[in-house]
Amino acid sequence: MTTPASRAALTVRPIDASEHLDFVRGRSSVSFLQTPAWAAVKAEWRGESIGWFDGTTIVGSALVLYRQLPKLKRYLAYLPEGPDIDWTDADLARWLTPMAAHLKAQGAFGIRMGPPVVTRRWHAGTIKQAIADPVLGSLSEVPADELDDTAIGVVATLEQLGWNEIPTTGGFSAGQPKFNFQLPLAGRDEDAVLAGMNQLWRRNIKKAAKAGVEITTGTRDDLAEFHAVYAETAERDHFTPRPLPYFERMWDAMTAEEPDRVVLYLAHHEGDLVAATTMVRVGTHAWYSYGASTTAKRDVRGSNAIQWQMIRDAMAAGATTYDMRGITETLDSDDSHVGLIQFKVGTGGEAVEYLGEWDLPLNRALHRGFTTYMRRRG
Amino acid sequence: MSGFELDVDAARWRRHVAATVEARRGLVPVIKGNGYGLGRSLLAMEAAAVGLGTIAVGTYAEVPGALASFAGDVMVMTPWRPFFTDAVLDDRVIHTLGRISDVADLAALAPSARVLLEGETSMSRHGLDRHELAAAVAALGDLRLEGFAIHLPLQAASGGPGRPGGNVAEAESWAAALETSQVDTTTLYVSHLTPGEVGALAARRPQLDIRPRIGTSLWLGDLGALSVRATVLDSHLVSRGEHIGYRQRAMPRDGTLLVIAGGTSHGIGLEAPKASSGAVQRGKLLAKGGLEAAGLSLSPFTIAGKQRWFAEPPHMQASMIFVPASVTAPEVGDAVDVAVRFTTATFDSINLR
Repeated sequence: MTTPASRAALTVRPIDASEHLDFVRGRSSVSFLQTPAWAAVKAEWRGESIGWFDGTTIVGSALVLYRQLPKLKRYLAYLPEGPDIDWTDADLARWLTPMAAHLKAQGAFGIRMGPPVVTRRWHAGTIKQAIADPVLGSLSEVPADELDDTAIGVVATLEQLGWNEIPTTGGFSAGQPKFNFQLPLAGRDEDAVLAGMNQLWRRNIKKAAKAGVEITTGTRDDLAEFHAVYAETAERDHFTPRPLPYFERMWDAMTAEEPDRVVLYLAHHEGDLVAATTMVRVGTHAWYSYGASTTAKRDVRGSNAIQWQMIRDAMAAGATTYDMRGITETLDSDDSHVGLIQFKVGTGGEAVEYLGEWDLPLNRALHRGFTTYMRRRG
Repeated sequence: MSGFELDVDAARWRRHVAATVEARRGLVPVIKGNGYGLGRSLLAMEAAAVGLGTIAVGTYAEVPGALASFAGDVMVMTPWRPFFTDAVLDDRVIHTLGRISDVADLAALAPSARVLLEGETSMSRHGLDRHELAAAVAALGDLRLEGFAIHLPLQAASGGPGRPGGNVAEAESWAAALETSQVDTTTLYVSHLTPGEVGALAARRPQLDIRPRIGTSLWLGDLGALSVRATVLDSHLVSRGEHIGYRQRAMPRDGTLLVIAGGTSHGIGLEAPKASSGAVQRGKLLAKGGLEAAGLSLSPFTIAGKQRWFAEPPHMQASMIFVPASVTAPEVGDAVDVAVRFTTATFDSINLR
């Protein structure tokens, strides 16, 4: 990347889905929110694949989702967990400036992106100790076990280029979570991963096996069964469930791209479905995306068993990261969200902090109006 | 009595030092700068006499003297930098490190040196960000880690803006950070916590060995044991309008002009920015306007119970002081009291009595 020839200006132009998919397949991994299939999942947004070109060679890609402003032909251009460009390039302007020009020409009044850049990592042991310490209330107050200076340098560059970080409260924003929990799999075998889990996880995995919990993978037809359990979970945990057609659309779009892009897991005990989940994988990165469990038969530990099966399948498929997705920043043991972190911490993985989501206003008045509108919408 | 002198009631002063050492377990005496007016070598010997094994100095320039007058360990509070030309690499020296690159550089230069890591507090002076601790540990190599240090602001207990809970909360946050970090030490050196604050911290963090680094309240904690006296070297009757001194300034009234030992070389007339800046303090300064308007300023010399005015700016080793005719002036050879800022004072002699 440092030879003079490669320092030429990059161009950005739309690419078709197959060109986009070819580029994604050539990468170790990108976020599943940056695959061409995701545009089909997000029906209320208009999707566009774009590529960065150095001469005729494609060197980066992104999925852009356009959300129209009410009554206006102007759009927010959103690149969730993207774009997939060389974030270690000290000259980020040569990537982001032509992107902004292209999106503006497409009618964008503002751009929102979530650079897939990890700034800090905290190991499970550190988090566990921090939760036990009443003085430490959030991850930011806990010394990180790994800090990426280059990634932190990106913040200064983005600010220079006019981007603003979208503030979050407790790590939750309207968009994708800033703090995530990941289980590293690279260079580890099943025994090593199991040994890294806490005693409760190991005991529950054994307990489920002894109780005769069976894990199978399902087909599109089993989505309805998954959805029934998911709706039960939503009611119990007080969140708004997505309708079944959403999952069917996701299934169709994603499996059309790669047959095993998304896999449905079902945990049965004596014929009863006790837990159901989906796992998404792009290259070396596997995500636990949706999970549900019944209130009945919690003691057979279907949740632990189904996670363990997904982890083993991810390893077998060559994944180096098993991603359990968002956590809140809180470590306050009185906060109800801490239970979720504790469940994830039990896998022996690590909390990772991403750069967060960033906005570039292209039309300040419209952008301000949109921000207010979104805030009212909640 | 011959000049600008410090008289120390040695028994009383040592009683305070010993009582402080007794009350504040694990303390490391700070011996830096002008030795709080008493001199660094005197303080080093006193530290040894009360059985302390480690002293803390401010800079590397102070290390050779400390090693010469003290047989124990010498901790340097200014963080080591690769460009320091006077850094002393001795096994009795404990270095402070506050940047990751410095950790790596010292590990390469002196692989088995003894070190402290310092955290950056709200002082924002020196130290590592808490998220840099793992990288600092990774850079340590064979360096011998002896503890972790934090330096807190002076303003004790009451939380300033943006610092709810003040020093104690900040210290506890660092103690918690230290315990969850990869930094492999249980020794925490703290500055500027009151005895009560250290006690509370130690009670809440029993795993940690909290060691306060103390200077002023140890050496200058009982000012009644210290008296500064200056000898009157000469005395002249002057009348209003008479021109005197280097600058041939006209005297505002009739009175006595005293020439007293103690000038700029002793730290007289050197003003540091005022620590107190409240409205009352500012009002007091304004109220002194009278003689200031005549071009005079208040001296630290006390005669007949009042601070008197400089007749002209202090000379290098003596000062010219105006005493109005209504006051009985001291005789040549008499001593007068002087209020000094001990951290900037230099005495012609220090008399332990």
